[in-house]
Amino acid sequence: MFKYAFMQNAFVISFFIAILCPAIGIFLVVRRYSLIGDTLSHASLAGITLGFLTGQNPIIGAFVFTSFAGALIEFLRTFLRKYTDLILSIVLSLSVGIAITIMSSGKLHVNAEAYMFGSILTVTRGDLVTVIILSALSVLTLLLFYHQMLYISFDEETAKIAGVRVRLINYVFSILVASAISVSIKIVGMLVLSSMIALPVATALQLGKGFKKTLVFSILFSIVDIMLGLFLSWSLNVAPGGFTALVSVAVLVIVLAGKRVRSFVASIRSGEK
Amino acid sequence: MIETDALSFRYAQGEPHILENITMYIKKGAYVSVVGENGSGKSTLIRLFLGLLKPTSGTVVSNARRTGYVPQKKDFLNSQFPLTVAEMLNSYRALLGLKDKRVVAESLEHVQMEDFRNALVGTLSGGQAQKVFIARALIGSPDLIILDEPSTGVDMKSQKEMYSVIRKLNREKGITIVSVEHNLDAAVMNSTLIFHLAEKHGHMCNPGKYVSEFLRNDPEAQNV
Repeated sequence: MFKYAFMQNAFVISFFIAILCPAIGIFLVVRRYSLIGDTLSHASLAGITLGFLTGQNPIIGAFVFTSFAGALIEFLRTFLRKYTDLILSIVLSLSVGIAITIMSSGKLHVNAEAYMFGSILTVTRGDLVTVIILSALSVLTLLLFYHQMLYISFDEETAKIAGVRVRLINYVFSILVASAISVSIKIVGMLVLSSMIALPVATALQLGKGFKKTLVFSILFSIVDIMLGLFLSWSLNVAPGGFTALVSVAVLVIVLAGKRVRSFVASIRSGEK
Repeated sequence: MIETDALSFRYAQGEPHILENITMYIKKGAYVSVVGENGSGKSTLIRLFLGLLKPTSGTVVSNARRTGYVPQKKDFLNSQFPLTVAEMLNSYRALLGLKDKRVVAESLEHVQMEDFRNALVGTLSGGQAQKVFIARALIGSPDLIILDEPSTGVDMKSQKEMYSVIRKLNREKGITIVSVEHNLDAAVMNSTLIFHLAEKHGHMCNPGKYVSEFLRNDPEAQNV
């Protein structure tokens, strides 16, 4: 399968996705914001259709519109602080509305549906370069604002008292989420993208480790999920995004079962003593 | 250290004031307990001190070089948050821009919690968590520490240990303490002054006067 250039590109991009999605996702999950991934992946579809409509690179289109949607969510939080789910519904409706309107207008001369399910056949060398640049910028930003983002997630008041510009960092974080989504959408597909953001983190959380170790395990689980998903979907001739989501759930179930067995064995041992 | 002048606050226009015309002065090195009924505005007052809220009218001025904050443990509802004690303290150190990583170990030594550095914050008992939050507040050598109901969810033995630590910080290190208290025993035993909030207004008095004038006729406070 590696003799094909598109497959080589797909694996390289997948590797970047496997690092980027959980690295961003862990902050969303601990803030109980994992559904934001779903909303923004819908926003990225609107961005892709806008990109095609205006003759621009669709990944850049996705990045710009998803960043806008992320900033819009942050902005609306000022007015609807207690209704985060409602904010997500508003932005989701706006995004889906734009995507469907453009797709059904007959003005697109390309197949935007591929972005809904994910496709490795359409990955080009240009996509590869865009993905590498966006990923590198995202990882650098993440490293730069790591402590600020961690504290905003854990204890926003203390972060403010310590002088963190919470609003600004939240906007920066929205752009990071947008970047992770734009990078991933072509391979994983919009419909299951949020699973790549949340599931490896959910699996790593079961290990009961600290933040850095949970982050490292999230990335490891993510690499396993995506690579296995890509490899098996190729063999089974199915969409990689959907199958990767299935692999992610399977890995989570295995870890949960392992945890259950371990605590069962521990309880038997303590009973023997 | 902290001075307010005709300080009033309400959360939104049209709503009644939570605090009205509060004028007070907390001098350097004092240990002030803020007491009052539930909903009397105790936590609102310290949020104004911390700069988390802005006065509707009047002023609040803090001359503290650095302020440490110990929140209520119940504010951390997410016990699943994957964060060790060392990570929590180390990130806080980084936020303050302190390069020396030894301050983390030193702050844990102050509250005798060195053995818990690798424990997850969410797994700590109430008393352990409060001590760790005091350790965090100590990073950066603050001259003012503000605590929000530090004894909430803490057993009696741990409360004794915790107040002993807070008292030491005040008496030996000269750190100014402002503590919102629902625990009147702790307020009377530890503070040098008590700020009593009632019906949107407040006044400062010494603990002896507070017991004799305000608690004497309160059947719920007969044991204080």
